[in-house]
Amino acid sequence: MEFGLWQVWEAGWVTAILRGASITILVGLASMAAGLVIGIVCGLIKWARIFPLSLLVDAYTSLVRGVPELLIIYLLFFSSVEFVTKVVTAFGYAGVAESGYAFVIAVIAIGAISGAYSTEVVRGALGAIPDGHIEAARALGLSGARIFRRIVAPQMLRIAVPGINNVWQTTIKDTALVSVVGLQELMRISFIGANSTRHPFIFYLIAAVVYLAITLVSQGGFDGIERLLRLRTRKTV
Amino acid sequence: MIDLIQLAVPVLLKGLWVTAALTFISVLIGFNLGLGLALMRLSSSWLLSGFAKYYSTVFRGTPLLVQIFLFYYGLGQLSLIKDNAALWWVISDGSRCAVLALALNTAAYTSEIMRGGLMSVPAGLIEAAQACGMSRVLRFRRIEFPLAIRQALPAYGNELILVVKGTSLASTITVLEITGYAKRLMSQTFAIFEIFAIAGILYLVINLVLIAVIRSIERFLMRMRRDPAMGRAPRARTNP
Amino acid sequence: MKLKVLTLLACLAGSMGSALAAEGELSIGTEGAYPPWSMSDANGNVTGFDADVGALLCTKLAVTCHFVVQAFDGLIPALKAKRFDVIISGMSITADRKKEINFSVGYAELANMFVAAKGSDLAAITDVDTLLKSLDGKKVGVQAGTTHAHFLEKRAPNADLKTYDTLDQMQIDLASGRIDTAFADQSALQDFLDKPDGKNFQLVGVEIKSTFDPTLGEGIGVGIAQDNTELKAKIDKALCELIADGSVGKASQKWFKTDISRPCK
Repeated sequence: MEFGLWQVWEAGWVTAILRGASITILVGLASMAAGLVIGIVCGLIKWARIFPLSLLVDAYTSLVRGVPELLIIYLLFFSSVEFVTKVVTAFGYAGVAESGYAFVIAVIAIGAISGAYSTEVVRGALGAIPDGHIEAARALGLSGARIFRRIVAPQMLRIAVPGINNVWQTTIKDTALVSVVGLQELMRISFIGANSTRHPFIFYLIAAVVYLAITLVSQGGFDGIERLLRLRTRKTV
Repeated sequence: MIDLIQLAVPVLLKGLWVTAALTFISVLIGFNLGLGLALMRLSSSWLLSGFAKYYSTVFRGTPLLVQIFLFYYGLGQLSLIKDNAALWWVISDGSRCAVLALALNTAAYTSEIMRGGLMSVPAGLIEAAQACGMSRVLRFRRIEFPLAIRQALPAYGNELILVVKGTSLASTITVLEITGYAKRLMSQTFAIFEIFAIAGILYLVINLVLIAVIRSIERFLMRMRRDPAMGRAPRARTNP
Repeated sequence: MKLKVLTLLACLAGSMGSALAAEGELSIGTEGAYPPWSMSDANGNVTGFDADVGALLCTKLAVTCHFVVQAFDGLIPALKAKRFDVIISGMSITADRKKEINFSVGYAELANMFVAAKGSDLAAITDVDTLLKSLDGKKVGVQAGTTHAHFLEKRAPNADLKTYDTLDQMQIDLASGRIDTAFADQSALQDFLDKPDGKNFQLVGVEIKSTFDPTLGEGIGVGIAQDNTELKAKIDKALCELIADGSVGKASQKWFKTDISRPCK
């Protein structure tokens, strides 16, 4: 019997795959948000060389960037997930712990990974801000917070956009790895479909196409943002 | 604790060689393929450059895990592959299949890195070589490639580390490398953190060795430069 | 340092809790991909022998059942994390696992067997020692984290072991000829032989009982957290009654066409 796209559609796999894709995007966005928060905090620590903390950040980024993502996911999956569940339960979200358990681990794992890469991007962007700008602001008597808000943050964000784009592309692809711990995202659904229908080729091909669509669309989005930022810079110059 | 180390270290060291072999072979194939793709991308034929561009988009736009599963389980299903002895030899074995996926994947990233390197070679140098009557092959070997690789080396070093990390995915298709053994030990001994720490250290050691090798190659390539900042490639800017 | 804080927090949070995570509900962790023990369909409903045993147990204890599907490798860590109250997933009772969790009395026991291509050398073997010796250099499929995997690691150290996360993957590789043989319990292999993929395969005529080697466990039991002695007592009592009155045997007839229930001592 030939097994084609029509059978995939008839058996209801298309909706399942789309549901999986939406979870992939959700995990991607949530991990990216978590990663950016980590990245900005750790990037600032590294940039400002706040002594004992910067050592911790160094250890974190070199560990996460040097060890395979899959190994990190296994670590979280087999162990400190206990901690995750318990914290979530302790805060009284037992229901969330039940349904969103795999989701929470996924976001923690992928967020920690994307945080390490974001840290480097943020630090690089901060380093690219000319010292003169900050010195000038200081000479004008602006407060530290104000310097950060008006001088440092806007420039950093602009310089960091291409780097953040790279991190996002890696993050969305890394979400495929959490399928090994059972979160029903795009890769997991394809995996289940492939195993239960015994037609892995078509399911993994569909998965590849959907991932490609996600990365291409977001690439387009980032290109747009970059163009917009470049236009604004040109106008002000 | 000491029992655990005695149990885990030899097992994980066995995995270390598999990880190293997977990395080495994939990089060997992937680098040459990537270089070829970079040249295709820069060629004037729209067919060649178009192919290279789509190749790179597809392989960089999809997760490596999907590629590995597609090759291993997906292609393994097709009778077309099974009936061809040479293809089935590659696809039938988890580690050969992982090498195939890793090599094709790193080729895509390598092609982007090498393209950047080749584009940074100043046009004047190529024209000068042409004026000297160098053939295309000689020009590439003597002028373009050495300059491009010098420019591309730092980025390529990062790519090598990504390949090392990528080999861990081979464990999902039954290959027992560091991560595969680590997972097995984790489910056997339940000493999750300890196993993770040992496996993590092994990966960090591989990466440190790689970084050291890349640094020394960089220094070797830069040996004739009297640049005070040793080891750092001066950025050749082609456009202002 | 950080780790210690995490552990401390985890301990604090873990100290709150009763016999059951939620009163009146028994949450059951199961693999959901191990026919005919535990299968899950597209909507996430769990069926199979273990689903039936779970349902019987819940009726006996007068609670509602709630199944949580989780990869086999992760069942014990998840139980320890109190993600569910018990594991019912065709899990063999072994010494290694007993270090981590408690088990109820065994409720079932199956023979462990090899499967091989019809007419192959392996298929003709009839005694266990020859069989284990002839595995040298052969590609042998087995599911990750199972007693079968541990048994082969110990008894057939020179076999080229291929471990799979799910039996489905193993069956795909068996059918495509990537592995020479596979080791699992008889029911799982029968499931494969009944599929079109399995038509060229047969069971190797050697039954390896758990009495042969303790790594194969002491039958199949319900996994319970170590500190939950109250629940273990309740489940042991209920299981013994269910085995004695033949309910487990009936469920076994439905899924295995034979009675695999293990008499309760």
